[in-house]
Parts: sequence; C-alpha cells; structure tokens
Amino acid sequence: MIYDCLIIGGGLAGLICGIKCVSDGLRTAIISGGMNSLHFSSGSIDIAGYTSRGEVIKKPFEYLKTELKENEEHPYAKTGIPGIRGSIGFLTEILSGQGINLNHNNEFNHFHITTLGTLKPTYLSQESVFSTELTEIVKSQKKIAILNFKGFRDYYPDQTAANLKKNALFKEAEIILGDISLPYYTNTEKNLHEFRSIDLARIFETERYLPRIAEEIKKASAGASIVSLPAFIGINNYKTIRKKLESLTGKFIYEIPSLPPSILGLRLDHALKNSFINLGGEYIAGDRVVSGAIRNSQVEFLTTKNSGSIPLKSRFYVLTTGSFFSGGLSAGFDSISEPVFGLKVKYDSKRSKWYNDRFFDKRSHPFLGYGVQTDSRFNPVSENGKTVKNLFCAGSVLSGYNPVRDASGGGIAVATGFKCAERIIKEIKND
Amino acid sequence: MIKIENISFDHCIKCTVCTMYCPVSQATHLYPGPKASGPDAERLRIKNPELVDSSLKFCTNCKRCEIACPSDVKIAEIIQNAKWKYLKIHWFRPRDFFMSRTDFVGGIATIFGALANFIIGLSITRVIMDLFLKIPFNTKFPRYEGTTFRKIFKKELCKSQDGFANKVIYFHGCYVNYNNNELGREFVKVMNALNYGVEMKKEKCCGVPLIANGFIEKARKNALFNISSLQEGNTESKIVSSSSSCAFALKHEYSSFLDLDNSGISDRVEFVTKFIYNEFRSGNIPEMKPLGIRAAYHSPCHLERMGGVMYTLGVLKQIPGLELVVLNSECCGIAGTYGFKKENYDISQAVGKNLFSLIDKAEPEFVITDCETCKMQIEMNTRYKVLHPVNIIAMALDIK
Repeated sequence: MIYDCLIIGGGLAGLICGIKCVSDGLRTAIISGGMNSLHFSSGSIDIAGYTSRGEVIKKPFEYLKTELKENEEHPYAKTGIPGIRGSIGFLTEILSGQGINLNHNNEFNHFHITTLGTLKPTYLSQESVFSTELTEIVKSQKKIAILNFKGFRDYYPDQTAANLKKNALFKEAEIILGDISLPYYTNTEKNLHEFRSIDLARIFETERYLPRIAEEIKKASAGASIVSLPAFIGINNYKTIRKKLESLTGKFIYEIPSLPPSILGLRLDHALKNSFINLGGEYIAGDRVVSGAIRNSQVEFLTTKNSGSIPLKSRFYVLTTGSFFSGGLSAGFDSISEPVFGLKVKYDSKRSKWYNDRFFDKRSHPFLGYGVQTDSRFNPVSENGKTVKNLFCAGSVLSGYNPVRDASGGGIAVATGFKCAERIIKEIKND
Repeated sequence: MIKIENISFDHCIKCTVCTMYCPVSQATHLYPGPKASGPDAERLRIKNPELVDSSLKFCTNCKRCEIACPSDVKIAEIIQNAKWKYLKIHWFRPRDFFMSRTDFVGGIATIFGALANFIIGLSITRVIMDLFLKIPFNTKFPRYEGTTFRKIFKKELCKSQDGFANKVIYFHGCYVNYNNNELGREFVKVMNALNYGVEMKKEKCCGVPLIANGFIEKARKNALFNISSLQEGNTESKIVSSSSSCAFALKHEYSSFLDLDNSGISDRVEFVTKFIYNEFRSGNIPEMKPLGIRAAYHSPCHLERMGGVMYTLGVLKQIPGLELVVLNSECCGIAGTYGFKKENYDISQAVGKNLFSLIDKAEPEFVITDCETCKMQIEMNTRYKVLHPVNIIAMALDIK
C-alpha cells in the first residue's frame, strides 16, 4: 500500500479531510483537477441558513436538532450535531494557525452582505465581515460608507446601497457612497479598468500605499464609522493590513465579496492548502481521476489522466469531487451519473422534476439536492448494489440536502470531510 | 470559415482563476494574464488575425494556468500557438537562434571545454553579450564539460551494461551531455543498482528550447528524428529521461503541440523518478544508507503539469535519513530560456522572488529539484547548491 488515504478532489471537504488525516499521521494525498469553489465563494462558512420554506434560521444547531430527527438521509444526520461542532472547531483552529480568524455569534447565525447588497445568514466569517465589535457599532451608529476603488468594474456600490436600503436593518441608516484611488497606478502600465480584485489585492499586499489609501478612505467616508470596501485589502497579509488601515483611519473596515475571483475565499483556500502541505500531505494539482476499479466491494486502484500505466493505490479513498460544475456529477438527457466509480446516484427519473420553472425560486431546484447515495457511514453503493467499504464520500457530491436552498454547503463540506477522516483514522488504528 | 483547431477556449467560464495563479501577471501589470491572452483573445484572433496583441510574448509557458483551470481549458497551449502563428517576429534573431540550439552550441563548447567556460565567464564577454545579444550581464551560464556524456558512456560505462538482462533506454538530453556528465554517470549507477542496464539511442535536442523560441519547424524535425530513433531495435524497454522538460516534450508536446504521431514512444517514455518509484513499489529497492541531511524540494512547473511531483516525493521519502522540506509550489521564473533574455530579466527575477525567500526560510543544506533550468536559476539567486533526485539516491548508495 502506498497511501493510507487518497482524496479525490481538493475543495473544502477534501482539504479538511486531508488535514485531519495527515495530522493523525496518515500518509495522505489529494488529487485535484483545477482550483476549487472557494475561489468563487463568499469566504464565510454556512451551517444552516434557511428552512425549506425559505425562512431565515436564527439558531442553526437548535434548528437542526429538531429537523434532523425526521430526516435520516441528511448528511448532518449522519455526522450528528456534536460532529458538526467538532469539525467547525477543527476548522477554526487550523485557520487560526495560519493567521485567519473566523468569528461566530455563539449559537446564532449572523448576516454577511453580498456583492448585490442582500443579506445572507451564515455561521463563520472573517473578522472583516463579522465581529462583536461590528454589531456594537451597527447598533449605536447609523452612518455607513460604501466605497469602491475608482474604475474597478467588478463591483457596483450603488447597487449594494440600493439593496441594503430595502432591508429593515438598514432602513434608517445613512449610506454614503464614494471612491478611493491610487493615482500612481492609474498613470502607469495598465488601464485601471482591466484591474481585477486580485490585482488590487496584490497592490494592498505590499503595504506600500497604506497611508495614502487611509487618507483617501477618510476623505471619502466623512463621519461614518463603518467603511465597506470590495474584498481586496490583501491576501495572505490581510490581517496586518486591515489593522493598519483601521488604526490609520479610526474606522471599522468591512469587506464585501466582489465578482469572482473571490479574495475572501482565496484566503481560506491558501490557508488550508498551506496547512495540508506543511503537515506533510501531498497535494497533486492539475490531474484528473479518470476511473476507479471496484472489486469485491473494495476500491482497488485509481487511474488518472497522468498516471498512465501505474495506477494509484491506497487503503482508503475519499470522493470529494463536488457537484455538477466540477464534474463530480454528470447529467445526461434523462440520467445523472457519478463518473469516477459509477456510484449509485439519487435523482428523479423524470427530467421535468429536476428543476422549478422560476430560476430564482425560493425553493431552489431539486437537481441541486441530487448526489451520491451513502449509508450512515458515508460509504457509497456501487453499480451492482453493494456498499463499497474503503470508499467514503463527502461534500457536495452527496445527496440529501440542497446547499443553495438551505445555505449549508460550507458546513456540510467541513462536517462530512471531517467525519470521513475520523472514520478512516479509527479503522486504521483498529487494524 | 473559421477553422476550429482548439475549441477548448469555449469551455472557459471567465472565472479568472488562471490569472490569479499566473506568475507573470503577478510580476507585471504589462501582461493581462492567461485568460485575456488565451481564451478571451483567441475568439478575436480566429476571426481576424489583425486583433492579435503583442502581450502574448510575456507568457513563459509554465502552464500553471492549465493546472489552475477548473474547466480544463488548454490555456498555455492556446497562447503558445497564437504567439508563433500570429506575432510578426523577425526571422533574424542570433541570440534566440543560438540559445535554442542547445546541442549545436553544446557540441562546440565541449570541444573547447575549460577555455569556453573561461571566455563565457569573462566580464568583457558578458558586457558584449549584454549589449549585442541582450543577454543580461548578471546571467551565469552553466559550465560546459570538457567532453560529452556520450563519449564517457562509450568509453567507460557501455561494456558493463551487457551483464544486465533488463534494460532502459536513457534519453540523456543536452544538459547531461554537455553540462552535467556527473548526473549521467549517477543515472547509470542508480539504474544498475536497480538491476537495469542502460542503453542509448541517437538523439537530438528534444525541441523544448526550439519551441520556446519559435523555431517550430526545426523542433518538428528534431522530434521526428527522436521518435524514429527511439523506436529502432529494442521496443520493449522504457525510455527514461532525467530531465523533466525533455520527458514532457517526448511524452506530450510532440503530439499535443507539434501535431506529430508519437504513439510509438509516448507510453514508454517516463521521467526517471516515476520509473524508480514503480521499481521501489514492486519491492526493487537497493540498499541505501542513512544520509543525515536536510534538504528543500522545489517542484518544477512542467513536472507538476505532467503529474510527476508525487513520484519524486514518493522516491525521496523512501531515502533513509533525508529530512525533506517540501516548498510551496512556486515558479522559479527562469522558464527555460525566458529568464536568460534581457527583456525578460526583471520579470523573471520578480517571479522567482517568492521561491528564493521560501528557500532561505527553510534553511536547508541544499535544494533538490528535477529540472536543470530551475537548478540554474536557484543557484544564480540563492546561496544553495541544487541537486537532482538521482544525485540523492546515488549519494545514499555510495555511503559505505
């Protein structure tokens, strides 16, 4: 045996699973084809945001306690609530070790502001999106500045402001709009309209222009004690930069995710990958698993695009290939399949039931709830109907929940990835 | 009608993740990044070649964009194709001509050996090269050997190879032949320790520097020569290369980029660490003594693209007494001949900066990497000596 644990997919679920395995001394590798969806995410981790009727959930754990009793197929029912808490604790610990603080509101959800200016319930956010200090300021102060970088075309503050105004929380608030800019950069090399969030984040990352930027912020946000900027104030060094900006301006700096690529998500991705590699995990990027051979209810080996004649072998395998976009699930005209192992997928056989007529329907679309069918241990069922014992599934390849309707994608990825790792570690230790 | 040669650009969803991971657009705003230069602009170029812009020349072809792409778009390939198809680049480029003829230049330099190194090392030569050839003054060229590896093999090593029932065909490449005979010797030593005899076929430069400098027809000629030469006689044995870029060309680029039929060799071509890894896995592990050494490992871009890094790590982790610090994946900035050109020098240095500081932080005794140009770049810019995985195995074999 070469690896103890081979993880297919380098997203949130795969990374959490990998970090847990490798920190318990397992020889672990992650095979990843292309960058993960953290690059398109808000950078906040949801646990459960909405009920199936679309109402905001205030206390996610309390809600789940009653909800899961009736729904054994839900991935959270299989991890259990202590399992969710344990995995969230593990995630925050790993990230704080990499210099990222994820804040939460104890038993309660909090809101984060989206690019469009809507409010979404979530559970864990970076300190620029949620902190107790922020709630205090919001309560006592009703003046907010929403700023943009002049010429930055991936964010529209007017839209944010207009949508915020529709929300009861901000009805009374006075919102100022404004721009900041860096003339030095506007005169050189590149047309500012070509700048993406990542270009700006790299300029911030150098810390070179902070006093100048602080002056600009002060000028544009007179009187407001909260200033929001599109999320580009640094990547790995953002904590220091934000602190410096806050002390230079005397204002709370809030970050709103811009259009992809998302810097808030990128920070989590970098931190998790660093942690995995530093612990000794092998991150194999840019390869794709083509197929996996199952014999006698066991995965025997994997073939990847690059592996050629040498198949990859491991004692345990974890499938975290995600949903449709990343290729974890594949939809034909009237069937949905799991392409690596041909695992049994749960879906309606009638295509007309896959979706609702209205795109932005509050109930979302049924196809988002389709996925691989697993038992209570997250072992899937192969084509011939037998449970595959040394294969576990985690993250959005799973069936039984709708991440868009429930606002639960991140939490499910973390909780199930972590649970699979725990099971594998236990089995290896019992051997 | 539009000739659709590579429609993978149509799979681009404009997420810009490739640009996030492009080392060149990190280093300079002059390069709009792989998304803009590749799939975005390709739509315009296939309609009207007038719409080609000169920023194409910034691409180093490190292929990190392809690794990052969630939609499997062949971004670097699109850019490389467009660069040589559309950009009007003058045919008379003496520097690029000589730089890409690694076998021709190497052949001459090894005849003069020490004298060649002396002349290349002189400040006056470097000033002249800087002024007239646009090769930056700071560049330290790799030393040339006084003889070629092929001669050494023929004279000293060839005979003892007959005793082995199993053989590998060694594609040594220009670097081993003209600049690092020792690596070739140690390759033979390691193969022999694994009970394989080494055979060599006639070979020409694999074509990587030719492709990088736009001499596509010449690259095709070399590739055709290599494909047919490597298929002569013994067609059973693996073709093993100690250069990650040569292996990448023989195995992938001959068909994907040069449109040639390499099916006769592509399955047999293996980068050396993958070959060794497979042997180790089947229990064929020679006796190695503990090294008691701390080293940092840098993964070359092209080896990553090939998916070869895990095999190198798999082999290195089985060498006793080797404490390995695996550096975060970063481009070193040299990209073959790219960093040896004056117009690219600043970008190349800016790209490599991250890696150099990671190496300094790791405080190793030396650095390990699979690629010869990565080695040159790291040795030029840090105080560490850089070794090949084969050197490390040979070291562990040598300890008495």
